[in-house]
Amino acid sequence: MRTEIGGHMHRLTIAALGAAILSAAGGAAEAKEYILTAVKPDKLVMVDPAAREVAKVYTVPDSTPGVLTITPSPDGRIAYVLVNRWESISGIDLETGKQVFRADFSTGDVRTKGMFGMTISPDGSEIFIFQSPVRLHSGEYEVLDTRIAVYRTADGIGAKPVRTFPAPRRTAILTNSNDGKKLYAVNWDITVMDPQTGAVLDVHKVRNWGRANHSEPDVLDVWPQWEQADIFSTPYYAVRTDVAMDHPEAFQTGMLTLDLESREFVMENYEPTAAIIFSTVVNPVRRNEVYGVYTTLSKIDIEKDELVKRVDLDHTYYTINVSGDGKEVYVGGTMDDISVYDSETLEKIGEIRMPGGADQALASMRMIER
Amino acid sequence: MKHLKPLNKKARLMEKAAEDGKTEEVFAMQTVAGCSSTLDPGWEVDPLGGVAWLCQPMEADLYGCSDPCWWPAQVADTLNTYPDWNTDADSAQRDWRKLQAVFPKNK
Repeated sequence: MRTEIGGHMHRLTIAALGAAILSAAGGAAEAKEYILTAVKPDKLVMVDPAAREVAKVYTVPDSTPGVLTITPSPDGRIAYVLVNRWESISGIDLETGKQVFRADFSTGDVRTKGMFGMTISPDGSEIFIFQSPVRLHSGEYEVLDTRIAVYRTADGIGAKPVRTFPAPRRTAILTNSNDGKKLYAVNWDITVMDPQTGAVLDVHKVRNWGRANHSEPDVLDVWPQWEQADIFSTPYYAVRTDVAMDHPEAFQTGMLTLDLESREFVMENYEPTAAIIFSTVVNPVRRNEVYGVYTTLSKIDIEKDELVKRVDLDHTYYTINVSGDGKEVYVGGTMDDISVYDSETLEKIGEIRMPGGADQALASMRMIER
Repeated sequence: MKHLKPLNKKARLMEKAAEDGKTEEVFAMQTVAGCSSTLDPGWEVDPLGGVAWLCQPMEADLYGCSDPCWWPAQVADTLNTYPDWNTDADSAQRDWRKLQAVFPKNK
């Protein structure tokens, strides 16, 4: 069971408070919620979910075959996107559409890929990217050590890393605590690092959990979608070793959550495996509710550790996010639509088509306010 | 390894990795990406050996497999080897006729 951690001041609450103060002071426009996604071959897409329509489409220079990870700046003004076959970060100003930041990783005979994991410091000054470099020899490729590279957003076009530090291979998610003092690298375990020095401060054991009567759990997570509740969540799969393999309870699905405010880390089984779930998101209002997506949409209660409801989707989706008021769930990735579901009933209540009918494929789906 | 004898350089490197206790470097699954770094069941079967848990339709997952080089034997990888494989085919479901089989350039 999880315990409710009270007293948080989440990013959204702060944003709402700020908007209220601005509004009272001078009638400034209230911040509005948008979805950021991307489609092939080179388009970043801003969606107005309330209007159920695409608000803006941006062309990202030298980005084919598409945008992978999307990391918005905390103020919602710039989207940093992993592009160019994962060898570059491009920062796109969401007002002007211009590229205001560019970091190309590969140099000389070393080809360097950013492997999904990317995040930004809470003050928006630094980008963290997980990199896998390979030296290209004439007869073979030499695999070099994986690392996290840090770029200053203020360095703009042609940015070079201001520091790098070793990071475990297989890292595919990077995120940080809300106070910016911890950098989390999700790999076989979750490595807690000092974002300034790279020093390993702690390890939350995942594959090495050593739980009695369970196999090692398996996790696949490459999509950043924790910004609404400030909780990173991902499903895991494990096999009970105290029952026969044909026992109905033998295969277990569980939910891993890492609260980026309180730093609480929890892994609990919630159902005998009955569906694949690729990615999940936590409701920022009813914080016991997690929604998971693949070819079905699931609602999971992580206080009671139980499946609440599951519905079939029109097709497979990779990504999922939720509105700031917790009322709407958005499913995206894979093909050319974002579908909208009622978070209470899981009924489909809307659909937003992507420009040109192009696929989103693996692109992130992030929520911003601006 | 006592029943296996390495016959070429790569196999000898694999054996050395086992001797050095570095076999985890090629261990299967959990949040990895890139050519040959995963050992999922396979393109045509799900974890239970069936097809019911695969992506529906398969075109929904096609570029999610080609972009990260997830199934290098079954799907052309656009990450390194065939970067232009799906150029001008922005929708896998609509444009699949433009997608061609690929063959290694050098034997």
